[in-house]
Amino acid sequence: MSVLALHTIALLLVWGTVVALDLVSVPQAMLSRPLVAGTVAGWLVGDVEAGLRIGAVLELFALDVLPIGAVRYPDYGPATVAAVALGAGAPWELGLGLSVGMALLLAVLGGWSLQVVRRWNAHAIQHRAAALAAGESGAIRRLQYAGLLRDAARGALLSTLGLFGAWALGHWAVPDRETAVGLTLVAIGGGLSAVAGGAVRSAGRGARLRWLVAGAVAGTVLAVLR
Amino acid sequence: MTGGWRALLRLLALQGTWNYERMLGVGMGYAAEPLLEDLKTVDPVRHGEAVVRSAEFFNCNPNLAGLALGATARAEYEAVPGAQIARLRTALCSPLGAMGDELFWAGLVPALAGLALAAVVLGAGWWAVLGLLVTYNLVRAGTAVWALHAGFDAGMRVGTAIGASWLPRAVTRIGPVAGASVGLAVPLMAAWYLRGFGWIGAIGALAVAAVGASVSRWFGPSMTSVRFALLAMGLLLFFRWVGL
Repeated sequence: MSVLALHTIALLLVWGTVVALDLVSVPQAMLSRPLVAGTVAGWLVGDVEAGLRIGAVLELFALDVLPIGAVRYPDYGPATVAAVALGAGAPWELGLGLSVGMALLLAVLGGWSLQVVRRWNAHAIQHRAAALAAGESGAIRRLQYAGLLRDAARGALLSTLGLFGAWALGHWAVPDRETAVGLTLVAIGGGLSAVAGGAVRSAGRGARLRWLVAGAVAGTVLAVLR
Repeated sequence: MTGGWRALLRLLALQGTWNYERMLGVGMGYAAEPLLEDLKTVDPVRHGEAVVRSAEFFNCNPNLAGLALGATARAEYEAVPGAQIARLRTALCSPLGAMGDELFWAGLVPALAGLALAAVVLGAGWWAVLGLLVTYNLVRAGTAVWALHAGFDAGMRVGTAIGASWLPRAVTRIGPVAGASVGLAVPLMAAWYLRGFGWIGAIGALAVAAVGASVSRWFGPSMTSVRFALLAMGLLLFFRWVGL
């Protein structure tokens, strides 16, 4: 992890909070996609290449997830921001594995924190049940703003934890070269298995599967020709 | 329809109070408030009842919620019996959820993400990311505006309006596009990452991918791709620690 200026850390915290809010609460504009969150985080720390590389691997994991309704899913946004902070400044072949490993742990923690916020929202609604039953618009507004605030606090906390984790790993847990490369290869392999498994599962047996195969053939040809 | 733009902006925060009891209910109530404002002067009692109904249990894909929001707001102005409006809301949950999830989460998002990943590999850099953001949000904003207006215009006949609209066709067409896009991205990504590691490294990573895909398939939800990757990393660190 390269040494980050205080204002850069502050910007990463703000960006981590924004992408955490974007996942479910507001505005769901795909800012929380790892590819987007990572690229912007890379730009903030002055290493867009690291942001793209780390964001793209985590995007492969995210493509395995359908963020539907009550399903429990990882929150990759703040995790990606912290991972880029950890991996920036190092050759990506060495930094990517450890960064992705930390990001996956944080993403799982983020998914769990979403459940906590949802339960708090339910408690708040029960607390204001009488006002809701009376048709008070003010109660609806207050519930909504409090829910958004809770999610923002969740995002800020997760981002703080992630950046602290990045700092700690960057200082005290730098693996040797062979281990770092091994972790990177496992991260890439894990990402490829996630996206391939998810794509085959959602393709079923109809037209989508045929187009998936056609796309894979075209991609292989392009990859060989490059 | 007055308050339409404010309702559209509030729809962006529809899931701000997501919970396991009312799900999107309170968010719908929040978005409905500007649409129901005129009712307050015309019929204050009805307005109060409409506000209560608007915040009750509701769930669907957030990008298509405007259809239900517009339809129920129109029904409130037309003094449709409350029980009928409640039934309409309940009836809309499943189709709007299924179509929206299929169109956006299983269709548009993987289609655009796959294209963006392929474009990154082909050298587009952050332009690919910008393209993903702009395209998604243009489609989403267009859908939101259409949904709210279509719902308000149709009122209680919103089901027929949805069936006759572009939506069912788009849902069937986006799946193959998403499949092709993700299929294109996977080999390109693999080559982009593994080119610098030599044959042994590439074979190792692809073996991890093959084992991961098989294990996830056999063990299902108990062994997700994230759990598999963390387990594989843990095993690697353990083996390195014991000196293998």
